[in-house]
Amino acid sequence: MTINQPQQFDNGPACGWAQYRIGRFSLETEWEALPGQVLVIFGPSGAGKTTLLRAIAGLLRPAAGRIEIGGQVVFDAAAKVWLPPHQRRVGFLTQQYHLFPHLTVAGNIAYGLADRKSPAGQSRVRALLHTFQLEGLENRRIGQISAGQQQRAALARALAPDPAVLLLDEPFTSLDTQLRRALRAELRAALTRANIPAIMVSHDIEEAISIGDQVQVIANGKTQAVGNPLAILGQPGQGQVARLVGVENLLPLRIVSRHPIDGTMLCAGSDGLQLEVPLGGLEQPGDTVTIGLRASDIILSHQEPTGSSARNRLPGVVASIELRPPGYEVALNCGRAVLKCHITGASLTEMGIAPGSSLWAVFKASSCFLVQDQST
Amino acid sequence: MRNLLPASHYGGTLGAAATALYVLFIGLPVLALLIKAAQQDSFIASLSSPTAFQALRLSLLTSIISIIIVIAVGTPFARLLARSQSRLLRVIDHLVELPIILPPVVAGVALLMALGRQGILGAPLSDLGITLPFTTAAVIFAQIFVAAPFYIRATKLGFQSVPREYEEISQTLGLSPWATFRRLTLPLAAPSILTGIALAWARAISEFGATIMFAGNLTGKTQTMPLAIMSALETGLDTAVALAVLLLIGALLVLTALGLITRRARTAGL
Repeated sequence: MTINQPQQFDNGPACGWAQYRIGRFSLETEWEALPGQVLVIFGPSGAGKTTLLRAIAGLLRPAAGRIEIGGQVVFDAAAKVWLPPHQRRVGFLTQQYHLFPHLTVAGNIAYGLADRKSPAGQSRVRALLHTFQLEGLENRRIGQISAGQQQRAALARALAPDPAVLLLDEPFTSLDTQLRRALRAELRAALTRANIPAIMVSHDIEEAISIGDQVQVIANGKTQAVGNPLAILGQPGQGQVARLVGVENLLPLRIVSRHPIDGTMLCAGSDGLQLEVPLGGLEQPGDTVTIGLRASDIILSHQEPTGSSARNRLPGVVASIELRPPGYEVALNCGRAVLKCHITGASLTEMGIAPGSSLWAVFKASSCFLVQDQST
Repeated sequence: MRNLLPASHYGGTLGAAATALYVLFIGLPVLALLIKAAQQDSFIASLSSPTAFQALRLSLLTSIISIIIVIAVGTPFARLLARSQSRLLRVIDHLVELPIILPPVVAGVALLMALGRQGILGAPLSDLGITLPFTTAAVIFAQIFVAAPFYIRATKLGFQSVPREYEEISQTLGLSPWATFRRLTLPLAAPSILTGIALAWARAISEFGATIMFAGNLTGKTQTMPLAIMSALETGLDTAVALAVLLLIGALLVLTALGLITRRARTAGL
């Protein structure tokens, strides 16, 4: 099978499992990405995210596993199947684009086309130049176009030979926010048009939530969670995941009472700290739980707010203030617990917050989430 | 003129004096050679003497054959050296540059010991009726021996300058390793390869010591231009000067070509 007959394949899912070494430890993971959808592989650096993409592309060989791309088995350790990268129909987009400096923009896009010199090949290049708004730049060298244009040219080049899966290695990391948004939309549209799955590696929560249809968190050599990006990264329920995505407040509390009618339970810390949190399924009064709370979900106030719907109001004293772009992180001593709260620079100035200020921390019960720590 | 001097006047004066001295040291002999050639009324006649013409023809023929062999064998070898992690190849990589440092006369003696009539390989070859020393083939052997390292070193650096990620991307785009080499690695390494060709060719055409030891000084057969210059000096200056000027012009052309390659590579962003 060669790239000369791409129509022979269905654009099926990209799926499989693989086991391979990352430095000193071994990672075993399973994945499935559906056509038109983006699977985000999320994890800390060194977790083996990029290695997974390289294994799918055939740039390295896993110790064990089975990899399927577009309905074709490209690797099966047990059946001794191994296709080299150039027979796999993958589009690979790297962080630095790696556009070829000796070719023009059009030359780069045409690079993977077997029929690039025929009229059909040339019209394919023209169509891609049009789709990715690169018309008029076809004869430019890579150094003569902007970062956003380079990104689009790299995407066009990857899509030109009709890949059955698109592999993206942190493709938006080196771009500014505005450009990221525009390109994300273009990537989405391109995936839908080609009706192929994409697997994207990322360690950026916002990126994962905004572009991913599915997110898979990998850390410590295995998959920690799979599912809806907002559910997993917005309110990360698993201890490992919560730590990975940097949930600022993880509070060990004891359940005092359950209130099924309100859908909440009352929890208390050893120092009299009391919180209302969403009702858990199995936890009973007396159980110890870990409650997660994002620093950006906390409102700071000078007076105890009355007539507010927020169920949790805690008095505290400011222990420290740290610059945490784009705003500030205020550490508030509430008894023995320290709550980290994110506020903007404007709020900090207007409210005159300084170390020693007495403030109230206010947040909704629904902002709190139960963290299922696997170690407990 | 003052603006050209660096801030430290003392260092500036010293630097300027050293520069002037050096330029004079290199420039004066070159200039003298050109003046002497210009004073001749028989420059073309000197070149068209049978000895000079044969030397010129032989030099071009042997150096071109040498370079073709060096490219054919050196390119895959340089490619292997550029990417290999193996210990043995690291050692070989180091030894490749030996002929650059080795006195050419020593190279000539070594070639005689290996391929001479009584040499390790030369003796059995001689039994088969094949003799290498003092033939045109010996000239080519000597040239390859001394010139190949220049090509291999430059080409290896050229291949190493192509990031591995480019080659990987190329393969994911459907190009086989060979097609990737042809359409990506080779063009990207081209400036270094051309530099290697120019340096190796210049070294081959100026080869003297190893040639005279291993191939001798036979007119029309092994007498290349540098050897012909030496021989011509014994009979008269004119032919020697004419041949020397010709080699000087060749060297200047190589230098110009190298400059152009570097500049083009830089503007292409390679």
